[in-house]
Amino acid sequence: MKTLLLTIALSLGCNRQAREVVVYTSVDQPFSEPILRDFERRSGIHVRAVYDTEETKSTGVLNRLIAEANQPQADVFWSGDPVRPFLLVKRGLVERYRSPNAAAIPSQFKAADGTWTGFAARARILLVNKKRVAPSEMPRSIRDLESPRWKGQTALANPLYGTTTMHVAALFADLGAPAASGFLGNLKANGARIVGSNGEVKRLVAAGEVAFGLTDTDDAHEALEEKAPVEVVYPDQDGLGTLIMPTTVVLLRGGPHADAGRKLIDDLLTPEVEKRMAEAAAHMPLRADVATPAGVRRVSELRAMKVDYAELGAVMERIQPLLREWTGL
Amino acid sequence: MDRPLTVFRRHEEQLYLGAAGLVIAVAALLPLLVLCGQLVSSTAPASGPAATLASARIWLLLARSLGVAAAVTALALGVGVPLGFIFARTDAPGRWVAFALHAFPMFLPPFLLALGWFHWFGRQGLLGSETSSRALFSAGGLIAILVATFTPIVTSLAALALSAIDPALEEAARVVARPWRVATHISLGAIRPALALAALIVFALSLSELGVPTFLRVDLYPSAVFARLGGVDYAPGEAVALVLPLLGLALILLVAERRFVGARSFAVLGARAAERFTIPLGRWRVVGALAGLLAAVVGLAPLGALIGRAGLGGFSSVPAWMGGSLWNSLAEASLAASIMTALGIVVGRALARRRRAAAPLDALAMLAFVMPASVLGVGILATWNRSATAAIYGSLAIVVIGWTARYLIVSTRTIAIAVAQSPLHLEEAAAAVGSPFGRRLRRIVMPLHRRGIAAAWLLAFVFCLRDLETVVLFYPAGREPLTVRIFTLEANGPPAAVAALAALQIAVVAGVVAGAGVAQLAARTGPR
Repeated sequence: MKTLLLTIALSLGCNRQAREVVVYTSVDQPFSEPILRDFERRSGIHVRAVYDTEETKSTGVLNRLIAEANQPQADVFWSGDPVRPFLLVKRGLVERYRSPNAAAIPSQFKAADGTWTGFAARARILLVNKKRVAPSEMPRSIRDLESPRWKGQTALANPLYGTTTMHVAALFADLGAPAASGFLGNLKANGARIVGSNGEVKRLVAAGEVAFGLTDTDDAHEALEEKAPVEVVYPDQDGLGTLIMPTTVVLLRGGPHADAGRKLIDDLLTPEVEKRMAEAAAHMPLRADVATPAGVRRVSELRAMKVDYAELGAVMERIQPLLREWTGL
Repeated sequence: MDRPLTVFRRHEEQLYLGAAGLVIAVAALLPLLVLCGQLVSSTAPASGPAATLASARIWLLLARSLGVAAAVTALALGVGVPLGFIFARTDAPGRWVAFALHAFPMFLPPFLLALGWFHWFGRQGLLGSETSSRALFSAGGLIAILVATFTPIVTSLAALALSAIDPALEEAARVVARPWRVATHISLGAIRPALALAALIVFALSLSELGVPTFLRVDLYPSAVFARLGGVDYAPGEAVALVLPLLGLALILLVAERRFVGARSFAVLGARAAERFTIPLGRWRVVGALAGLLAAVVGLAPLGALIGRAGLGGFSSVPAWMGGSLWNSLAEASLAASIMTALGIVVGRALARRRRAAAPLDALAMLAFVMPASVLGVGILATWNRSATAAIYGSLAIVVIGWTARYLIVSTRTIAIAVAQSPLHLEEAAAAVGSPFGRRLRRIVMPLHRRGIAAAWLLAFVFCLRDLETVVLFYPAGREPLTVRIFTLEANGPPAAVAALAALQIAVVAGVVAGAGVAQLAARTGPR
């Protein structure tokens, strides 16, 4: 009872500690939380975090940041993808910060003006259930999602949320609106299951509910860790390329603890964090000098989709009405 | 010299009620007014809200949501009323144990139960197949899970009301009719207000449920609202526009509640008959016992699956994954329940005593309860995230405000039901000898109804503990309650750890309910 009363008193009375930082993140909680706790231990700065729910991945906390713009509550946004921070940049909610630790990050993965910095990347992959798909039939392209051979046997996450939004935007940017719309129409006609999240795609593939699905490398890594009978396919290696998505960190304008925010960003951009993200969540390090564990590919080994992350932000906003209509919401 | 004091004394009851009303208005009404204000002053194109509501798809989703809510309500009544009869009025063996097990799921977040059912009927579930999986991930599966989740509300209210019927009424009927005819024609008629209240609660909860339909991939109206709040083109204006039909529905539900339930529920839910008329089942006792057993199994099955999925490894990892969320839940829920109980004593008593000012406060509390939680969440965010109120918005206080707004009706109605059972003359006698209102509350109302007040606190506490949808939009950074933590870990956390956290949530609620039961038993059997 004493602990309870103390918790109430502390929570209500000592709302803002001097040495604390508030971070909103759409990076999966099982991976981001240990890193934040470790920073807390080493720096002595108390970290208060808001994690996204899987269903609204990347947009739930993003929208909370926008809703709180008049009275910012957060200092740092650690995004699971590189596009959503542009929506904050566009609204003037981001403070420029060039971290000294970002020097070794390749220039295509960071903004020259310091508005955003990428690190620890994921890729969009096809997760295949080996019990349902013979080696000879292994899909090689996201176009296999529209193949009649797999009618009603595939899944992808709701493109209104998460990295699927970015992937669809990349297709619109790369293929053009008519072809991308046609692809979406074919997916629906082919009975692809539209599920709540990438994690749900993983669960359905791992459980054999569908033959294969479109998801992210970290979800695939979890399925492999759980010894599910799955295989990872990096799609379109002989064509369009695989979509690469660095996680991205930005300093928020008007946050209550800007200095602590900068310290947290510096910490996130160290090689050690990239290494940990590679080991724990199969994120691909962007630095050349960070070793990758077995099973984790390097970005340089892949044929990557050619995308302009800033442009994708604009496309992503533009196609929302179409996506809502497509999903029926 | 005493004039101001005299004036204060004369109007003390109104002042108490006014102060309670102010708190309720700030918690529940202000967010709605701010939302409406935002809609009116929106800088979005004037056609925005109108265009949103002009979409045929939106109305189709609303119709589907209403269909699901109606089906869940009808089925929950169809199952819950007979179960209520079996548990409260028959001699079926083991009925009270079965009742307790059957009722338990109503204290848990529905998405946890859906997760439990997935472990049974998903393709690779314990009883899973492709067919069972297809059935689970469908509108039928959604309705079945919501029926299993919400039927205990009907059962409990029906059983409670059946225990309160005046035995003389039924005894008179028994002279000329068989027991079953008495049960269906007299008893059922007498408990109609309780059944109407149960139907209203189940309908409102089904209509605003978001987690289970999202999990089962059934598109419903709350998903459309959430898409405007969770999508890339954040459109709170459109979300508010979509809320307008729901507000209309909430008002219709409110009118229905006034018309068919209102203060009638105080009479049918509060009284306790000294003698109960029990229907002897005779050779049907086995059937009654099997029905009770089946109800208990349905209640326990998803919990069993979660505990099984957690295993020893999951439970051993709980401390690492739990963080401070359990303490946050307990702290926030105890504080919110205490505030709701304090408000409930003032408003619930006034409601039971038919004070005119209590009716609009009760209506407001009911509106906040039947309204979709995401609407209240957005309103609270818009109201409290300002520089002047930053200390509140960034602390546990905002969660307490959210829960107080949403679940206040639970404490006010529970206390009103308790107070309505006692005669007014005790308070009148005290007032006649000059006892001020505050003292009458402390010395008469509270001691006399301590069990009802304790039950109100407990119910409010448990409702807060199980809440997810109200606070998920605005909980303070680093201070998430346990339900939110389970929800954010659900897709990517280790399944065994997530299942173990869900089992912990269940154990906490079970512990609280069992503790209350033991305390009540001790109070009954202890020295007088």
